[in-house]
Amino acid sequence: MLQPKLKSKVQCTDLNIGEVTKVVLDPLSHEISHIVVSVNGSGERQVAMGHVQVVTDDLVQLRAPSTEILALPPFKREDYVTTHEVEISHLEDHIHVTPGEVLVPLPDLEKSVKRRTFFMNFTTVIGFLIGLPIAYPILRFLMKPMYADFDNEWLKVGNVSKIKQVDVGVQFKYKKKVKEAYMPEAEVDKNVWVLQATPELLGKVYQGKDAEFRDARGKTIWTNKKDVPYLAFSGKCPHLGCAFKWRQHKALGQVFLCPCHLSIYDAAGKVLDGPAPRALDALPVRVSAGGEVEVIDMEFKAGTKSQIRII
Amino acid sequence: MDSKHSSPATISDHQPSTIERLVAFLDERVGLKEMQAKMLNEPLPGGSRWAYVFGSILLFIFAMQALTGTLLMFYYVPTADHAWASTQYIIHDVDYGWFLLGYHFWGSSAMVVCVIAHMSQVFLWGAYKKPRELLWIVGLALFGVVITFGFTGYLLPWDQRAFWATTVGVEILDKTPVIGDFIARFLKGGPTPGQMTLSRFFVLHVMVLPAALMALAGLHLFLFRVAAPAGPFTGTVEELKAKTDYFFPRQIWKDMVGMAFVFVSICALALWEPVVLLDEAAPDPGDYHPEPEWYFLFYFQLLRLKLFAGEFGQFMGAVALPVAFMVLLVALPFIDKDPERNIFKRPIALISWIAIMVFILLFTVASVINREFLD
Repeated sequence: MLQPKLKSKVQCTDLNIGEVTKVVLDPLSHEISHIVVSVNGSGERQVAMGHVQVVTDDLVQLRAPSTEILALPPFKREDYVTTHEVEISHLEDHIHVTPGEVLVPLPDLEKSVKRRTFFMNFTTVIGFLIGLPIAYPILRFLMKPMYADFDNEWLKVGNVSKIKQVDVGVQFKYKKKVKEAYMPEAEVDKNVWVLQATPELLGKVYQGKDAEFRDARGKTIWTNKKDVPYLAFSGKCPHLGCAFKWRQHKALGQVFLCPCHLSIYDAAGKVLDGPAPRALDALPVRVSAGGEVEVIDMEFKAGTKSQIRII
Repeated sequence: MDSKHSSPATISDHQPSTIERLVAFLDERVGLKEMQAKMLNEPLPGGSRWAYVFGSILLFIFAMQALTGTLLMFYYVPTADHAWASTQYIIHDVDYGWFLLGYHFWGSSAMVVCVIAHMSQVFLWGAYKKPRELLWIVGLALFGVVITFGFTGYLLPWDQRAFWATTVGVEILDKTPVIGDFIARFLKGGPTPGQMTLSRFFVLHVMVLPAALMALAGLHLFLFRVAAPAGPFTGTVEELKAKTDYFFPRQIWKDMVGMAFVFVSICALALWEPVVLLDEAAPDPGDYHPEPEWYFLFYFQLLRLKLFAGEFGQFMGAVALPVAFMVLLVALPFIDKDPERNIFKRPIALISWIAIMVFILLFTVASVINREFLD
């Protein structure tokens, strides 16, 4: 016998009552168990395959009169899912119907929608009960090395005898001891730019006021006096953290020039040209009687207008 | 959620929210709702059961091991000079490091326990039989991966316990005929455990095994969905049909309760039994009596038997016995072709399972008792 096709006319013993709109598969036997007939003008009826006498190419002949079919309860679509929505392997292997709604009945236990929603909410709640208690520990775990205290130790960087000219940037290289987490103490190379400044340059830098360095609580760490003729600039460009150089510029003369994005600063650290948002970062500096230069190694966040210390 | 809403005929008069519109946008392009429906609407013959929770729980434990393991790698370094120090740093200095390490440590034990429970359930329910032979074999491969995970992870803290468990474990593999020496040198990266061993175990533990586990677990799930769940071992077709239920919601709810229980248990163990490292690994054990993790203790004790003394005895205990056991498990669905799944009608299967469990229990207890004679 042919399988009933969707859109086939359905003929009762007495008259033609409508057409096949859906077929229902048995999830266990994988056979068509019912056809759903759209009765002309009065809804849908679910008709068991037992009622079907013969199936031809475009007609399903039933062995019951139309009154018997019409007496069947209306078809309840919500008790079914389509075969696309259910995981039963090989389900459609033997079914040859025109593509359309091929249905599988929901298990009896599944016909209450309210309980499904309840379980869904409960599942979500348990998911949160597992997820929330570990979110905070994980965040704190990952944050451990992110915010370290500042180190305000003075570091010797060299002797002023290295400076041969006033108002000229001279790079002083020094080593800084670093102890990271469980790694042994290591030394890293750093550099600072030191200038022996004329009173005019000092005036430009300090503008008549001493420069104070304070910690997070507002306590003064050190004051660079406005009449001490030595300036120290952090070797890190305030634009995006590259290392800048002291260079001869065609139009501007001797300047600090950053090779990365071409920020240009004068000997006082002021921005002459380029994308830098602020002047070079002056560091706390002191010079001993013997000419030993010492700085406090500070680093500031790059790219901001104001100075934000990060080391 | 309800699958009937995927029918385009439903017209609602309320304005869709942003989330609903986003879901609809994705659904139109990816077919999310259909995919979700397919995943959730899987008929379980005979309905949901607590006995079926172990597979989902294993997936959950693996996800948590992957999460905690990834987090540990933020601080851990696999070098012989700093593995121990970085683990100590995680335990003592990093906020909640002790907890995440403890969770990862106890999570591995939970994994072994649930693997045994899962395998036992499948064995007792006769669910390895036709047509689920491949599902069973892939499951055995996953069992091997889990054991190897435990073995390789054990070395990483690089303390005395780690070093000696690895030393002994690799010596066991060394007893394999013909290829044993090669395997042992391959794993150790040389004749004795050292930096090369640590690197190899680390790569296996964080790269090779996770990839293998994900691939095999994916295959396992695929085969499971193709074969469909086996269901209970008793009941007529009509009875099963009447009780049949989809995977969602009741089975998922049971799975979630199981996961929550396992989660709380692992957290409790991490809190009350935190990981404490022994001294840094050294080829001199000092006062330490080498011992493997608890789930290997029964096998450790077995190798103490006189039966397995001498070169031949060692071969029997270290290689022949475990290999024969695994081969037997692989061959099981092909040897046992009787379609009967009811465990109470399969006396040999039931007695074998009880015998194995009693054997593991007795030998584990024996090895704990043996500790007293050592101190």
